[in-house]
Amino acid sequence: MTTQDRANSVLDQVNAAGASGDLIVDASQSLSLKARNGDLEEYKVSSRQVYGLRVIKDGRVGTAYSEDSDASALESIVEQAIVNASFAGEDLNETILPNAGELRTDDALLHPEEETNIEDQIEMALRLERELGSRNKVTSVPYNGVQDTSSERQVFTSSGMSALSRSRVCVCYAYAIAEEGDNNAMEGAGQVSRLFSDLDDARVVDKAHTDCLSILEGKPVPSKHYDVIFDEETQTDMFGVFASMFSGKSAKDGVNPMRDKVGEGIADQRLTIRDNPLIIEGQGYALFDAEGTATRATPLIVDGKLETLIHNSATASHFDLQTTGHASRSPRSTLGVSLHQIEILPGTESEASLKSGEYVELTNLDGLHSGGNPISGDFSFGAAGYLCKDGHRVQPVRGITVAGNFFQMLKKIAAIGSEQKWNWQKDSLMPSIRFSDVAISG
Amino acid sequence: MLDVEVSQSVIDHALSLGADFADLFVERRRVNDVNTLSDKVQSVQSGIDFGIGIRLVYGTKVLYGYTNRTDADELKRITSELAARDAKAAEPASGGFDFRVPQDLHPVVNKLSDDPEGDEKVACLLEADQAARVTSDYISQTRGFCMQIEQDIEVFNSEGLHTRDTRNYTRVGTSAIASDGGEQATGGWNDGGLIGWEVRKRIDPKEMGNEAARQALVNLKAKPCPSGRMPVVIGPGFGGVIFHEACGHLLETTSVAKKASVFHDQMGELIANPVVNAVDDGTMTNEWGSLNIDDEGMGTQRTQLIKDGVLTSFLVDRMGAQQTGYDRTGSGRRQNYSFAPASRMRNTFIESGDSEIDEMIGSIDKGLFAAHMGGGSVKPGTGEFNFAVREGYYVEDGKIQHPVKAATLISTGPAVLKEISMVGKDFSLACGMCGSVSGSLPTTVGQPTLKVDDILVGGNE
Repeated sequence: MTTQDRANSVLDQVNAAGASGDLIVDASQSLSLKARNGDLEEYKVSSRQVYGLRVIKDGRVGTAYSEDSDASALESIVEQAIVNASFAGEDLNETILPNAGELRTDDALLHPEEETNIEDQIEMALRLERELGSRNKVTSVPYNGVQDTSSERQVFTSSGMSALSRSRVCVCYAYAIAEEGDNNAMEGAGQVSRLFSDLDDARVVDKAHTDCLSILEGKPVPSKHYDVIFDEETQTDMFGVFASMFSGKSAKDGVNPMRDKVGEGIADQRLTIRDNPLIIEGQGYALFDAEGTATRATPLIVDGKLETLIHNSATASHFDLQTTGHASRSPRSTLGVSLHQIEILPGTESEASLKSGEYVELTNLDGLHSGGNPISGDFSFGAAGYLCKDGHRVQPVRGITVAGNFFQMLKKIAAIGSEQKWNWQKDSLMPSIRFSDVAISG
Repeated sequence: MLDVEVSQSVIDHALSLGADFADLFVERRRVNDVNTLSDKVQSVQSGIDFGIGIRLVYGTKVLYGYTNRTDADELKRITSELAARDAKAAEPASGGFDFRVPQDLHPVVNKLSDDPEGDEKVACLLEADQAARVTSDYISQTRGFCMQIEQDIEVFNSEGLHTRDTRNYTRVGTSAIASDGGEQATGGWNDGGLIGWEVRKRIDPKEMGNEAARQALVNLKAKPCPSGRMPVVIGPGFGGVIFHEACGHLLETTSVAKKASVFHDQMGELIANPVVNAVDDGTMTNEWGSLNIDDEGMGTQRTQLIKDGVLTSFLVDRMGAQQTGYDRTGSGRRQNYSFAPASRMRNTFIESGDSEIDEMIGSIDKGLFAAHMGGGSVKPGTGEFNFAVREGYYVEDGKIQHPVKAATLISTGPAVLKEISMVGKDFSLACGMCGSVSGSLPTTVGQPTLKVDDILVGGNE
């Protein structure tokens, strides 16, 4: 019995119960390797599949999932989803979109053919630990690894849509502990790619080692308000913590402070942000969303003005708008919204002007999951980086915190650089932004 | 859940490939989540996870794989694939299993598989919503959740162990948003345990809603927090996250064995102020981080980590014991079958002392009272940790002055343990989720109110 057969059977049962629905089938295979003391510490292989059903009956939505794909288990999730729907409040905005036909992603792009030798992958894992561990002042490489994951998602709807997307993600990473006297530091680096052969472990080792030594003698700076430039990783982290400010779902739920600010200026006029899933080289590249709606570049903030929130069909209907192609759903979740890959457009500031005078460059933020409040915008994180002057790092900085209000910070932009950079996970493309008057405690 | 003959054949196959040790972890997990938004049910979700994890050990090397299938052919295929590069001369087959029923330390009445109790859960959450809303017109939104899990596990290993257990988890919570013009603030409350829906008997939905609203209203009026080094009094319960992050993770052999913990060579040494006594205890009846057996099939225990400031034990799983030489402490845990087990915390807390909270606050010239804490994180290799203050107050001249917002406390484990100078009597526990190498796990943190003499407070003033 094929996945298509099982899906047909499930959706027939959904129809027979007087409901509509969609079924997501996720399958993945992965390999994970970690090294320790010159040998493999972990060799992990996996194969996993899960079926997730959403039903809509009498305007009420219910979901259920199962990792068991036999007929009785799939019958059971239909029954469970319909029972679950009976508890839900009525929401006439959520429907199964009348999208029909077949959608398929381009394997040549997202899951390119490659003959990969497992011995080469093992050698890379061992090499990461060996090379980084042999570097000056490095005492251990406690976290390292090589991963290779192939994923497949199929979506079937009661309105006749069938979508198949396949992707491959290869990752290598390494973290070093360096020590000298009473000082120690742990820093790491990583790379992500769709081809194993594109991974450059030597570059990862170099970056992890350089970052570790650079921060080793870091110390706090005096507490005061500084101009701050986040590097491409921490700036992505900051925008990630507060990404729900763009969520139409949060707005519908009454927990998005930007709900009533579409059309208003909420940031410095030089700031333009869009969600751009059509940049092919990014890991967030996507041609359609979880409801089968075609994606496009969506301006979110243009010249400081909030242009739109992101929507699926249900949140768009709630606000009497059109979906923006940002529906998201996993087999285990209800219908939501999510950004594909965020892009901040480059500014006009020269490097010299952007980095003139004194500022703090932050390269590490800790406590992202607990120190930021996406509803109030308040944040306070542990941080590390460099005190800089005129573009030069004059002192490594550790044992500090950075605090403020993100929404207010968007209005206190001193300069936007002219060069965009990807983060290492390659799902965010941003120029450097200089924020003024940020509280640093040391 | 898994046929014993199938299990035996897979273990025998692993040993025939020269593995020093092999085990199977079989898991079936039923999940039911009820979520409310305002005075409506937003979603009800349910599901079943099922899978089998296969671990082979060659020396100190761990080979791990998992699958959703139960047939012997597939399990042996994965075993062969895992062992392909390490197979060596065959060892004799194992001698069968000795089935052991663990002692049930955590009796449960209302299991998810008996009845999801959807109506009662919805009623409880909506009552909390109502209680929060009537508190103040400033309360603009509420959310509620009730999560119930029934996890059946079964462990087979090449030393003849066969055991199984059922874990019932229930957690209930509510959050509130207070709004005043452009200002918004949040508050929350939750409770849970290794328990069934009978947890409802100890929950007062009105108190739940009131507390979430109270916190949100306090935070709405909060001023920016002063920053810099200062004394901090940390409230009971979830305040215990300071020990969890500052020390607990650094005592897991997952870090100790790699020397990626600053405490790896300090057993028997004074690592904390002598007023500090700390414990990790899986035996506490029906607590959120409790267990009957760990995910390697070993009975749980109470482990004294620090006694009078001296390091007395690490948290040790099977591989940790092999690598460090310390005895196992029943600490092998994992989120689910897709993770190999690692040494992890259970219910981890600082024991009661003899100081009074007024005495602690009264001893501060300028500082902070962190009444409720949020989550945090740590880098075990350097001991650098951070955690967020969810409800805090500025203290001056020994008196609480006004609420403050957006504060984080940062330090290193070795430093902060020596700065704990006073430990109170008002011990309590609070549940949370802990993320680490073997996934996200239910863990409890706890402490009485305590005073840290000097720590960096990151505020926005």
